[in-house]
Amino acid sequence: MSRTLTFHIFRYNPQDPASQPHLQDFSLEETANMTLFIALNRLREEQDPGLMFDFCCRAGICGSCGMVVNGRPRLACQTKTKDLPHEITLLPLPVFKLIGDLCVDTGSWFREMYTRTESWIHTNTPFDPTKEEARMDNAVAEAIYEMERCIECGCCIAACSTARMRPDFLGAAGLARIARFALDPRDERTDRDYFELIGNDFGVFGCMGLLACEDVCPKNLPLQNQLGFLRRKMGITAIKQLFRKD
Amino acid sequence: MSTSFVLVDRPEVRRLSRSRADALWDLIQVLSGLGLALFLAFHTLLTASVLLGARVLDAVAGGLEAIHLDTLAHWSVPVLFLVHFVAAARKVPFRWREQQALWAQARTLRHADTWAWVFQAVSGMAVLLLGVIHMWTTIGAGAIQAASSAARVQSDGWVILYLLLAPLGQGHAVVGVYRAGVKWGVFQDVHRAQVVRVGLFVLGGGVLLSLAALVRYATL
Repeated sequence: MSRTLTFHIFRYNPQDPASQPHLQDFSLEETANMTLFIALNRLREEQDPGLMFDFCCRAGICGSCGMVVNGRPRLACQTKTKDLPHEITLLPLPVFKLIGDLCVDTGSWFREMYTRTESWIHTNTPFDPTKEEARMDNAVAEAIYEMERCIECGCCIAACSTARMRPDFLGAAGLARIARFALDPRDERTDRDYFELIGNDFGVFGCMGLLACEDVCPKNLPLQNQLGFLRRKMGITAIKQLFRKD
Repeated sequence: MSTSFVLVDRPEVRRLSRSRADALWDLIQVLSGLGLALFLAFHTLLTASVLLGARVLDAVAGGLEAIHLDTLAHWSVPVLFLVHFVAAARKVPFRWREQQALWAQARTLRHADTWAWVFQAVSGMAVLLLGVIHMWTTIGAGAIQAASSAARVQSDGWVILYLLLAPLGQGHAVVGVYRAGVKWGVFQDVHRAQVVRVGLFVLGGGVLLSLAALVRYATL
């Protein structure tokens, strides 16, 4: 027997001066294999064409449909309604700029993070298009790929208490980005270079180890291990710098 | 060919003092915390030795005093206590906006580790106050003996202080060691659930031991 789901959905349009933030209730009959993505589309098609939410791939790949579902940041497309109670509260991801209702601008945040972390391969080796690409050890390639699986949904940032309290904090996504380049043998940056980027309270030392990032990541990225790896690396670098004269 | 990245040899990026300070404070926080946790474990075992008899406690305490471990603890623990407070307070949200954000996050997220950190911050403040009172009244009060400890516990209201201080201090220490382990990568994600179970077991054992010892002091 299908349930009648009650949705409490955050509604607010910052572009409309008359709009006030509030929760609006919707009812919907649950169907087999219903995801929040399906439910939201039905609500928009059948009840309110003005309902704003993001989606693209419907398969947990694009990271567009991140939202707070009954208190936890999740992807709407990966969340089945059968795993939720009949009352479902949907809020936009905090930390990011609100576009409207459940839509947030994660792109600007990630663009700035990429700039701050200098998120590209840093090398002084001249590029020779006639040469074969340098070979990489398979285990290293797989470790790098593991970190590249991040879909930039922003769930880890929204779940991070430090990011909620301190807007300049890089968050797990930013620190994992650094971990990815620190693993890459093509990147010639030294630990001191990385220390310049993340060796402070806005970077890895701002992380308080609450691990909500790890627990909500829809791609199950090993964020806890990467944050520990970076903290040790940066801690050792700080101690080494204490004994350097230059 | 032009380089695409910042070289640390450039003089303008040598100003590392502030960045290094954050890292060093973080190291100081974890090392002072681990030192205090280790002390607390010894302290719990010492005070609980009264369960084996007043003479056992007096003998253990006398042995430690003979090698001047009490003197070492009397100056090092208050220093570690203060240093740990200063280092840890850097992360405590004292501002009203930060408080609002943290409580809102903890309430909506319903995430055990987030609540554990809230407990860590609140218990830290309580232990700061209660611990200072405890140290103020015990350091310099003479040799550690079952009779004097029992007299203190039995005097007006002091048992309430110890009923609060023991579980809060032990909870703060166990959560702190767990958090230090996950932050510095000593505990990996695959072992996290196991570490939590061991931590809860240690905490339960420690609290039971302390409460049993308190009952013994109250009735000695």
